[in-house]
Amino acid sequence: MSADVKAGHAIGVAMKRKEDPRFVQGKGHYVDDFSFPGMLFMALVRSPYPHATIKSIDISAAMKVPGVKAVITGKDLEAAGLGWLPTFHGLDKQMVLAIGKVLFQYQEVAAVFAESREAAADGAEQVQVDYDPLPVVADPFASKTDTVLLRPDREQKTNHIYHWEVGDRDRTDQTLAKSAKRVKQRIWFQRCHPAPLEPCGCVAFFDTMGRLQFYVTSQAPHVYRTALSLVTGIPEDRIHVISPDIGGGFGNKVPVYPGYVCAVVGALKLGHPVKWIETRTENLTSTGFARDYHMDVELGATADGKLTAVKVATTADHGAFDCAADPTKYPAGMFGICTGSYDVPVAHAEVDAYFTNKAPGGIAYRCSFRVTEASYAIERTMDVLADELGIDAVELRRKNFVKKEQFPYASALGFTYDSGDYEKTLQKALDTIGYQALLKEQQEKRARGELMGIGFSTFTEVVGAGPSKHFDILGIKMFDSAEIRIHPTGAGIVRAGTKSQGQGHETTWAQIVAEELGLDPQQIMVEEGDTDTAPYGLGTYASRSTPVAGAAIAMAARRIREKARKIAAHLLEVGEADVEWVDYRFQVKGVPAKTVTMKEVAFAAYTNMAQNEPGLEATFYYDPPNMTFPNGTYVAVVDVDRETGEVKVRRFLAVDDCGTIINPMIVEGQVHGGLTEGFAIAFMQEIQYDADGNNLNTNFTDYLVPTAQEAPHWETAQTVTPSPHHPIGAKGVGESPNVGSPAAFVNAVVDALSPLGVRHLEMPVTREKVWRAIREAEAGKGKAART
Amino acid sequence: MNLKYNGQEKVPAPMDAVWAFVRDPDKVGRCLPDVVEVTVHDPQHFDAVVQVAVGPVRGKFKLKFEMTANEATHHVDMKVSGGGFGSAVDLTATADLADGGAGTTLLNWSGEAIARGPVAAVGGRVLDGQAKKLIEQTFATVSQRVRQA
Repeated sequence: MSADVKAGHAIGVAMKRKEDPRFVQGKGHYVDDFSFPGMLFMALVRSPYPHATIKSIDISAAMKVPGVKAVITGKDLEAAGLGWLPTFHGLDKQMVLAIGKVLFQYQEVAAVFAESREAAADGAEQVQVDYDPLPVVADPFASKTDTVLLRPDREQKTNHIYHWEVGDRDRTDQTLAKSAKRVKQRIWFQRCHPAPLEPCGCVAFFDTMGRLQFYVTSQAPHVYRTALSLVTGIPEDRIHVISPDIGGGFGNKVPVYPGYVCAVVGALKLGHPVKWIETRTENLTSTGFARDYHMDVELGATADGKLTAVKVATTADHGAFDCAADPTKYPAGMFGICTGSYDVPVAHAEVDAYFTNKAPGGIAYRCSFRVTEASYAIERTMDVLADELGIDAVELRRKNFVKKEQFPYASALGFTYDSGDYEKTLQKALDTIGYQALLKEQQEKRARGELMGIGFSTFTEVVGAGPSKHFDILGIKMFDSAEIRIHPTGAGIVRAGTKSQGQGHETTWAQIVAEELGLDPQQIMVEEGDTDTAPYGLGTYASRSTPVAGAAIAMAARRIREKARKIAAHLLEVGEADVEWVDYRFQVKGVPAKTVTMKEVAFAAYTNMAQNEPGLEATFYYDPPNMTFPNGTYVAVVDVDRETGEVKVRRFLAVDDCGTIINPMIVEGQVHGGLTEGFAIAFMQEIQYDADGNNLNTNFTDYLVPTAQEAPHWETAQTVTPSPHHPIGAKGVGESPNVGSPAAFVNAVVDALSPLGVRHLEMPVTREKVWRAIREAEAGKGKAART
Repeated sequence: MNLKYNGQEKVPAPMDAVWAFVRDPDKVGRCLPDVVEVTVHDPQHFDAVVQVAVGPVRGKFKLKFEMTANEATHHVDMKVSGGGFGSAVDLTATADLADGGAGTTLLNWSGEAIARGPVAAVGGRVLDGQAKKLIEQTFATVSQRVRQA
């Protein structure tokens, strides 16, 4: 599925990705590909203890290892005023290297700098740290008791980090009490990890001008520059952040990690470039994890299934530091989207977060800040309600959908949904999958004792953070930006404050410019990730690139078009008011024969501009008026082996409505990738800790990443309901498949097991869990499984 | 990972000889399987370096030993702490001697180990069996060496 694009007509075309020839030939340039003369390598000493006092650190043996140049510890950094790092939303701070004690297993304790990667690793092995173990809190519910105070460094002497709530608690409680039907479900969205194939890493050096050159795998290079300046005191003009090709981010490459600060300190102290590249284990055990939300979900409904109220109370496990990288005013992100696609009269959601002796984080893993947790909570519990009411899960959803004519829809928890046609999207899914035939087949199979399940997820998400009146990170408003320059020949360059990690910006940004200006997208170069050249932007995560930077690009292009109109008027020898933009070119009003192309105007902008300012370029900083609300209907069909508990995902259909589609091939690719991640989360992935605080999933033999062999065949389809407030009507799609799919998978498995009385299973839904649920049900404990 | 073990060795030697052996840190230290180096600081304290291989995790552990003995009850307490390659172990062990009759001595031992880090995570599936084998091997070697002495 691909196509060539002529000048203009660029949006909606499955143009081949401009970046792919580079990637498929192994010519991508990742951070580890950068090397500089005299470069040293850094390795980190990490704590085997989840919670322990550091009695002493002896670096003498490490310094004797051939090639080792220096070792720094928390005390050294503290003396330099660099002991702590602010977390992005400003509620907490994080130790760079452990000071006094360690708070999680694999915490950074010392940094070793050496002439080779091997010598650095050998040196790290020789750093002798004397620990005195402290009691371990590996469970957020145990943390609540404050029996062991984990963070005496904080003013508040409690393990409780924050309480956040939204909605009307009293009215929700009253409504629930009066509701004819009320269901409650405890749901844990397990701790998981984005596990990008390229781990985190950086190269830092001070150039001959004394300027910090910082190559890093960052989803948000400008935020890094500002954060580095604030933390180190280096003036921001003397920091140059370069984020080269990135091998997957998924939210993991948003936070600033301790290793980055250590590498900069090493480069400054030693006068050599310093490279630090994480190992797989370091990535999985110390960088931003996702989810770990324990949610008590309660739905109220009338006897015939009309929702009356939604209530969700959550206990969040943030680990040792609150490094959630959420916008400042949203410690629990966009969790208020937990009323989903449904017209809910009253709702209340609250989150209480706690410290534990686990790795810090709570990042948005392919998710607009806790949207995945919220969507899973409502979509899973809708099935529980359908089961209790004896109503078909599809009918229950249809009955409660926000109707097409209700948009813009003000949700009970404070969002204004921009647009959608949920009924149409659902119907397309039902028709495509052949729902009636599947139901018939299921009935027949059930009669034979076979376990077949059909699971739905009709989610709505909220993306594109965000409007400046609500959203900031470290005080910086969450706008994004674009700068476009059109060259004399009609080729051009667009630079944006975002940073592709596989999303295909080099292609889609060119398509937007080409569409707006009637140019050839093959001759629009896209550059991102260099803070010296790109305009300031907040970066790529939370499906915000197209909603925010994509809008900035369209608006910058329209500014260029306005300038071009003046030149076109000169070329057409008419007044500016007599020039109109028709079919990707300027035309004298009412005279289709008198036209001039943008390519001709571009040449004139440099050669024959008359009284106009020479050149053809524009910059636009876009402050979105609202978020966008992509949505979809996902359907999973599974067969469960009664004897082994094995689940086979026989079919999976994703019908997405992400508004205007810029490149259908890229949308399809995004959906395939996200569904594969959702499949992994639903069936395979969990970062587990034992009661002693040991991380049990430290590598890819214990933390499973599906390949094409394990992943089901993905079927995709679309409906298009443009966003009314976005310049080109696009909503963003990157995270939809990860947000929407886990509930469809789990709902399908629970549906398969429902004849046995099973009402809920926690993710990951492993064979063992399914096998046990079947055995327990068969042993007459079916009711016990219904709690 | 919390691991607990206990066992009994019947040593074919009189209690005085066994007691003298277990009170000698250098001799006890050298009974550790795959021991590379033993450094005795005083009768109560010694360090040992041992080669460890648990599943795919291989390397050297540096361990600190602290022994306290009760002459009257023929009871020994041992505290061991240390680790290597990013892992840590903390171990407590006790040994009680009793007359086994006919010139033999019963050595009753128990131990509790906590393992942390890669050795616990990566080696988790095989650690329990490995640790048990190592401890049993240590006391079996003690028994054998006393007999030879």
